[in-house]
Amino acid sequence: MSAVLHAHPESGPTLGTDAGKRRKTLSEAGQRGRWWRFAAILIITGIVLVPIMVTVLLAFTPGPNSTATGLTFENLSNVFSKTLAATWLKNSLVTTLSTVVVSVAVAAPAGYVLSRGRSKAVSGYSLLLFVMQSLPIITSVVPLFILFAGMGLVDNLLGLTIIYVGSTMTVATWMMAAYFDSIPISLEEASWIDGCSVFGSFTRVVLRNSLPGVLSTAIFAFLLAWNDYLVAIVFLRSNEIFTLPMGVQSFFQQNATDWTSVMALAVVMMLPPVIVFAALNKYFSVGGIGGSLAGR
Amino acid sequence: MSSTTTQSGLGRARRGLAPGGSGTAPGKRKSKLSAQATRTFFWLLLPSVVLLVLIHGYPLIYAAVQATHDGNLLQTGNFVGGQNFATVLTSPAFWKAAQFTLWFTIVGVFGSWLVGLGLALLLRTKIPAGGTFKVLLLLPWVVPIVVSSTAWNWLVATPDSLIPSLFRNLGMGTPLFLADPNLASITVMVFKVWVSFPFMMMMISAALASVDTTVYEAASMDGASRWQQFTQITLPLIARSTYISWILMTIFCVNDFPTIYLLTGGGPVNATTSLVVLAYRTVFQDFATGPGVAIAFLMTMTLVVISVILYRQIRKSSVE
Repeated sequence: MSAVLHAHPESGPTLGTDAGKRRKTLSEAGQRGRWWRFAAILIITGIVLVPIMVTVLLAFTPGPNSTATGLTFENLSNVFSKTLAATWLKNSLVTTLSTVVVSVAVAAPAGYVLSRGRSKAVSGYSLLLFVMQSLPIITSVVPLFILFAGMGLVDNLLGLTIIYVGSTMTVATWMMAAYFDSIPISLEEASWIDGCSVFGSFTRVVLRNSLPGVLSTAIFAFLLAWNDYLVAIVFLRSNEIFTLPMGVQSFFQQNATDWTSVMALAVVMMLPPVIVFAALNKYFSVGGIGGSLAGR
Repeated sequence: MSSTTTQSGLGRARRGLAPGGSGTAPGKRKSKLSAQATRTFFWLLLPSVVLLVLIHGYPLIYAAVQATHDGNLLQTGNFVGGQNFATVLTSPAFWKAAQFTLWFTIVGVFGSWLVGLGLALLLRTKIPAGGTFKVLLLLPWVVPIVVSSTAWNWLVATPDSLIPSLFRNLGMGTPLFLADPNLASITVMVFKVWVSFPFMMMMISAALASVDTTVYEAASMDGASRWQQFTQITLPLIARSTYISWILMTIFCVNDFPTIYLLTGGGPVNATTSLVVLAYRTVFQDFATGPGVAIAFLMTMTLVVISVILYRQIRKSSVE
């Protein structure tokens, strides 16, 4: 680019009016195209977000028995003072954060082996993980229900967490492996020469340079555990053990007409993933799961 | 590690890097390292293997046992061979659910792909606040399904909901989106597309970002029309990513439970009962564990085939 500019330093001025005009019309067309596209994307986004906007709006609209006018926080405070919402929120937070931490702790070392190991066993394990992630969770849920019932892990947040870790670790391992693939092995070789063990180079060289990979894996585990409904509906029985999805759902069925309260709780539930995504979006923009699967 | 070993290690490695250096020492170093690596790899992989066996391996084997036995959630019962599978395969409910799953998957995959592709193409060009739109358009995928299904319910469930009222005011009657079997099926599929298109958009955007734009300049100089550029350049360049996202989305659609269950519960009159919903209801509402697990097992076998094909494809394309 710069070479071209240097070769013809006078190209702009000498070509004169004709080229200038053409450039102008081109950029005008570009401008018009841009505004047309802007309008299109604005309208589409508006339509797409209607369900979310409705949720937020209703959450802050005074309920049927309220004396408040305009937008109000009344529904939110009611939901927390009159229902188990605070307990559900705590349950969801505890389960999700444990899932995230343990998933990364299991997936990062395994992903390292998948990325660096060059044996039949390793590639066989890679295939196994890949096939397992595609299987319907309902198949394992029934046997696990029986196993966990015997161990007192039904209606128990620990039991829920174990299943979440189990179901996130397959894709999480692939995501970590895909990220480790992008870290040149020469970095590690340098540390081996300096006397570092394989484990040492994994933690000190590879893991230390993998924050984006760890974050995108963590976001994936977070979304899966926070949003899960199927495992929760099978394994959770009592109100005070419910996570937020079960809470919203139970609440929705019992108070079908009291939409404002349902939506208030729904807003509480959607806030953490939206915040996480807004803050860490760039770490997930490669296409998340798909990107990491496609990258291998 | 002592300083002597470090130094000798360093010396060996140096000698190994030098062209024509003595062969034995670096070889020894390498095998020592690889023996250590094998040991380390074993311990690094162990937690993952334990979890895989506990959460995936054991349940899968036990599911095979349950699928071939009668009994319920509390007792396994007697061995009945393929009887549960026969019961399932001869029941009209299974085939109806299989048919709905097929349509749900086809519409889910291609609907979300088309919407995602269109938006990815729109967002590729410079648009004011393009980045903001990109994040906003991800929201349907990020917002928990329990929340969005609640919102959709509010929008369409009763004749007085917002969207049926809109139709009425436009003089188009009052469609009962969740009470009419056909409309309910369509609504669930549209909801699924709404939930899934951001994933497709992300996949396609990532693929498009790696395309060199000078190809288009060259093509337009050669007189290729916009449509030709799209079919001859864009589509082939995103083909691999498209193929992978189709199969992934197929897996997501076949396995999907909450999108359907939360919006319609599988009704009305089983019109939106997919195989997962049917398996769930057979086990946890009808308490027929054997047939329920048999349904899940049939799905599992189908998905194993699909994912092995996908895995091969990924491996093949990463070698290329």
